[in-house]
Amino acid sequence: MRRRKLRLPPYAKSFRFRLYLIFTVTIALLTAAFVTFYVLTELNAFRSNMEREGKLLATVLAQNARLPLFAENREALDILADGTARYPSVLSVSIVDREGRLLAQQVKSQTVPGDVIDMRVPVSSPSGVLSPESALLGQPQGNEQRVIGEVRLKLDTSAARERLVALVAASLAIGILFWILVSLLCYQILKRVTNSFNLLLGGIEKIGNGTLSARVGLDGDDELGRAANAINAMAASLELRELENQALQDELLRAMRLEVQEEKKQVMARLIQTNKMTSLGLLLSSMAHEINNPNASIRFSGHMIGKMLADALPLLDGVWQEEGEFYLGGVPYQKARLVLTENAGKIVENSERIAQVVQGLRDYGVGGGGQLRQRLEINGAVSAALSVLACQMKRDVQLHTSLGTSIPAVAGSQQQIEQVLINLILNAMQSCAGRSGEVHLSTRHDVAKGEVVVEVRDNGVGITPETKERLFEPFFSTKLELGGSGLGLYISQFIVSEHGGRLQLDSTLGKGTVATVVLPVAPASVVGMLPAQLGQHAADPLHEVG
Amino acid sequence: MSLLKLLLLVLFTLTPTLALAYDVLLLQSMHDKGYDEAVRGFKRDCRGSVRRIVLADYAELDLTRITREEHPKLIVAVGDRALELAQKQHATPVLYMMALNAKPRGAVGGVSMLLDPGRYLSVFGEMGAERVGVLYDPARSGGYVKRAVAAAARCGVKLVLREVHAPKETPAMLASLKGKVNALWMLPDTTAVSPGSTEAYFLFSQAERVPVVTFADVYLSMGGAVALTIDRYDIGRQVAELAQRVLDGNPPEEGGEPPRRAITRSNDSVVRQLKLNGAVGH
Repeated sequence: MRRRKLRLPPYAKSFRFRLYLIFTVTIALLTAAFVTFYVLTELNAFRSNMEREGKLLATVLAQNARLPLFAENREALDILADGTARYPSVLSVSIVDREGRLLAQQVKSQTVPGDVIDMRVPVSSPSGVLSPESALLGQPQGNEQRVIGEVRLKLDTSAARERLVALVAASLAIGILFWILVSLLCYQILKRVTNSFNLLLGGIEKIGNGTLSARVGLDGDDELGRAANAINAMAASLELRELENQALQDELLRAMRLEVQEEKKQVMARLIQTNKMTSLGLLLSSMAHEINNPNASIRFSGHMIGKMLADALPLLDGVWQEEGEFYLGGVPYQKARLVLTENAGKIVENSERIAQVVQGLRDYGVGGGGQLRQRLEINGAVSAALSVLACQMKRDVQLHTSLGTSIPAVAGSQQQIEQVLINLILNAMQSCAGRSGEVHLSTRHDVAKGEVVVEVRDNGVGITPETKERLFEPFFSTKLELGGSGLGLYISQFIVSEHGGRLQLDSTLGKGTVATVVLPVAPASVVGMLPAQLGQHAADPLHEVG
Repeated sequence: MSLLKLLLLVLFTLTPTLALAYDVLLLQSMHDKGYDEAVRGFKRDCRGSVRRIVLADYAELDLTRITREEHPKLIVAVGDRALELAQKQHATPVLYMMALNAKPRGAVGGVSMLLDPGRYLSVFGEMGAERVGVLYDPARSGGYVKRAVAAAARCGVKLVLREVHAPKETPAMLASLKGKVNALWMLPDTTAVSPGSTEAYFLFSQAERVPVVTFADVYLSMGGAVALTIDRYDIGRQVAELAQRVLDGNPPEEGGEPPRRAITRSNDSVVRQLKLNGAVGH
């Protein structure tokens, strides 16, 4: 069964109404309790008085009837009973002897009301009265009383009922009057008290709705007054905070606008740099193509010259033996023979070197050849990188290489590792910009850990701690204005991690930086199955730049 | 040696007999202060040896056997019950005291509890009471009243007599004396004066403004004017004198003689209110 919720009118929800209801109900209950208590007390007192009066009447009658009862003087007893029966509340009087025989009776009313007080008092001989013999013997007076009869009274309690009705009516009237007066008084008091509450509540609601400039207009030193002062102080504080917040928010907006503009500039610079790099890659590919054609011709010519020279030398040697010394191009034959042999080899060799450099530039620009699962000799990668950077070498920077021997191969892409090394060597050289510096490049094999280590150490300016935290972020560069893209270390770390290795940078500001590439050694079972890198060559001590 | 044994045997055999030998057997009805007072007076003046038996201490007492075995020379009965028992034997002379309802038979003498009527009449004479109301039971106090009437005639006092045969008649009889007497004489008559009716005397006294001359002090507090009271101790001494005469070999005088000493007390408040002669009671 669904219970219907009692809906109270709006005024019934007010604090004033509830307090007033509580007060009036409490006063009504107290008044009712007091009236009930008073009526009951009065009624009991009246009934008790009636009983006392009846007992007194009966006792007096018993005293007076003692002798007539002893003498069985019915006339005297009748007179006494008649005298007692004249009292208004007495309904009947009976006097009986010890055996219960009725000696006198006066009945005023035959109709017996519902509530009648039946009073019975024994008639006793006086105490302390001795027999003559006891008196002569000097016996002490005793307290024994001998019952010789009984007086019976019936008392009418209708007067009590009438008094009860009158008492209830008067008490109710007084109680209601009292209740009305006190309720009115309570209403006035509550009205005065709750006005302060309403003022306080109104102020709180205004402040709560956001009108922080609103104040509770309540004076006084009582609790409500103190509460109002506290709320006003709180509102003032909130208002001040609001103003401060607004000012901070405006300032923040301005700062954000500036930062966004700065960020936009940097992004645009990176885009431009990337675009430049892309163009450079295309240029490199184009240049490689343009160089490769004449270089192929030169190499072919070199080979032809070498072959022809090889065929011609025995003939020339015979001539020299037969004819004696003769000159080729103004140079004695024996010396010319050495120069020809050497230069023919150099033509081929340098042509091949040009082809490798061009191939390297092409691969770097186009990004081809990046297969990781190839047999990679780390010293070869170092030499290739140095070949690429040969033209970038600066006079005031000395590059020292210290390549380890018996370094096992690793599995990876030489071209990508070369790219990593080029980045690291360029960074090292750039850190020495504007002053003479040294760059040490070394390779070694950490047998214990099964790793191949390439270390690039410089004595440049070092890296600030702030920069160190962002070193591997893409597009972060301290040399954007010098053409840096902010992608070198980011890509390098990516490549090394793709090879299962790690790239570490340890730097001390003002003393230099050590960049370490650690690559895992490929297992022997795998090394044999890996294909050799194209264009790979052994370490070349000629690359040491003086 | 055999002679010594014989002497010891005789000594032990006769010693109890010697111890039980006495002159007076004092039979007391019960333990009571008044009886004890009279016994003390008796013992004070009695020169013979006394054995005291309180009847209340025995369920049944064989007095005949006691007198036969112990041979007392005299029995002194204290109280009605003791007198009644003593009179059942005839071997030993009997004296009595403190027996209100004594009816001596034969050779029984003693001291009654009723003062000589002349003493009361002299008090009435001092009061100036000419008509004195007397309620009595003829069966109990007939003889005493007869003597009182005779003595009153000599004193010029008229006794207005009312006979009562039951205690409940007393109030009515008293009522019949209204306006006919100047004083009331309350006799120690258990019919005329009972606990239930005693109050009537003093109500009558109060209503009729006549003094009540009574026989015990206790009634003074209830409204009595003058009390002529017996001296129980002196009664004992009086009986001791009688006993001595009997022990001396004289037979006891039949009938009881009145107490020789009376104590007169009065209720000054009542005397003052009733404006009685100031000499009364002093």
